[in-house]
Amino acid sequence: MSDRLIGAVADLDEPAALATARAELAAGTDALAVIEACRAGMERVGERFGRGEYFVSDLIMAAAIFARVTRLAEPLLSAGPRPTRGTVVMGTVKGDLHDIGKNLVVLLLRAAGYEVRDLGVNVPPQRFVDALAETGATVLGLSALLTTSFGAMKATVDAVEAAGLRPRVRIMLGGGPVDARVQALAGADAWGATAQDAVNLCRGWVAHAGAS
Amino acid sequence: MPAPADAQGLYREREERIRRAMALETVDRLPVIYMGTAFSPRYTGMSIARFCADPQARVDATLAAMERLGDLDGINAVPAGRITPALSRMWLSRVAVPGRDLPEDSLWQVDEAEVMTIEDYEAIVAQGWPAFLRGYLPRVIDPAELEANRSWVKAHLAGVLRRFREAGFVPLSCGATAIPFEYLCGARSMQEFFLDLHRRPDTVRAAMDVMQPALIAEGIAAARASGIPAVWVGGWRSASALVSPRLWNAFVFPYLEAMVTALAREGIVPILHFDQDWTRDLARLRDLPPRACVLNLDGMTDIRRAKEILGDRMALMGDVPPALLSAGTPDEVQRYVRDLARDCGPTGLLLCAGCDTPLDALPANVEAFVAAARELGHTEAR
Repeated sequence: MSDRLIGAVADLDEPAALATARAELAAGTDALAVIEACRAGMERVGERFGRGEYFVSDLIMAAAIFARVTRLAEPLLSAGPRPTRGTVVMGTVKGDLHDIGKNLVVLLLRAAGYEVRDLGVNVPPQRFVDALAETGATVLGLSALLTTSFGAMKATVDAVEAAGLRPRVRIMLGGGPVDARVQALAGADAWGATAQDAVNLCRGWVAHAGAS
Repeated sequence: MPAPADAQGLYREREERIRRAMALETVDRLPVIYMGTAFSPRYTGMSIARFCADPQARVDATLAAMERLGDLDGINAVPAGRITPALSRMWLSRVAVPGRDLPEDSLWQVDEAEVMTIEDYEAIVAQGWPAFLRGYLPRVIDPAELEANRSWVKAHLAGVLRRFREAGFVPLSCGATAIPFEYLCGARSMQEFFLDLHRRPDTVRAAMDVMQPALIAEGIAAARASGIPAVWVGGWRSASALVSPRLWNAFVFPYLEAMVTALAREGIVPILHFDQDWTRDLARLRDLPPRACVLNLDGMTDIRRAKEILGDRMALMGDVPPALLSAGTPDEVQRYVRDLARDCGPTGLLLCAGCDTPLDALPANVEAFVAAARELGHTEAR
């Protein structure tokens, strides 16, 4: 795996990351290995964020670098199934049009190797249920910025329960005013204060699911 | 309602209490300040659509809510004009309006999108901020709507302020500004703007340098128009939790320091309405002119750290979290206010909801806030 590419991504050096990725792909390095190196760089970014060395502006930059490197490498990937760490359904709940936090979570989850079905904003509970059923996802992420959306978060959790999917689906909440009180109110499994928290939760949950 | 003579006396008493708290002087009790933009119509039975469409109804609902809540000293931001054009103007974004784009009784929402282009940075430099803004605003709001609102404010501002004063409520500020970072972030969308800061810092800085004097002038003009020597200075996306120190030191603090200094020089108190978490950079705020501004926090910044670091430099206002007012209980609210008054009083503290009392705040919780602030805010015993 390319230490140079890992380092460039981790240091948010976009020109160096792109130049390194281009050079490696041109030299015949497997496209998947390039993406994996980029992913390893993203993990370092996540660690630095966790240590308080990086901030949201850094996560946004890192996710943009990851997206650009992936765009370079993807056309060169061989056909066939691609490795994934698991599937997550994400969306901003009904009545709420905010998507910045949700989009950042989607970018980071994809960079961490998860397949994400992003349902967008103002998503009614049934659409979440349908997407969980279609994808077989084991994690559902619900986002909201408005306190008035807490009810929609609870309604969505209730709909997942009513559809009989709750035993296999872990539900995480995020967004400005969300906290442990809102998690309890909605009946979710966890909440995150930052986009990186969502990645960490998924890592724990998907590993847990695989072990059970 | 108190008799007119009593009302005048009550008003002067509240005004003096607020002035002393802002100046870090001792007070008989902690001032209790109302900030309940969206809560007011819901609390008084008015539809959100009407509240947004009719500026007079907005004033009526706010005053009715304050009178029903009782013994409040003042109001953080006076409702002058319609809320949604003001938001469009500040975020440089389209705003989804209840009754027009959203259901009648739902909350308005900023539709944040990449409306401003990369080329627009150069246009700002070439045209100057006021001319650029005139050309830009039609992308996010009908100019006629904006002009109608401006005309309404011009014609009615004095009357609106008089109504609040006659009711005994002290207007802390009326009118707003912010550093260039916030305007550009709204116009470009947060994601694109943060990438711009990394990819083309010099281009962004050049635009900011052109915008800054105009935005300071806006703050001064707002204070002059209202006659209130204070102005609301917003900060939300420029918060420390969102911006790396390198970017914050280059694109946030220098502009904030210059703006606060310039306003203070004019005798205007910036009410720094800072949403999100600013804890990392509280020590930098010590570099702002002393006793010249108020730090208005929303519950995400560690207000106790703020007291420890800035207690001798600026008054704090806040910070009962909106989520607590929506999803908590009256007992929890009371405990929060008790702890806040104990830890951050007795001087230099104004009790207020963090950011804004939300639309769906439980009336019992907001009433508990006011009652607790009155009961626990007395300072002589402590």
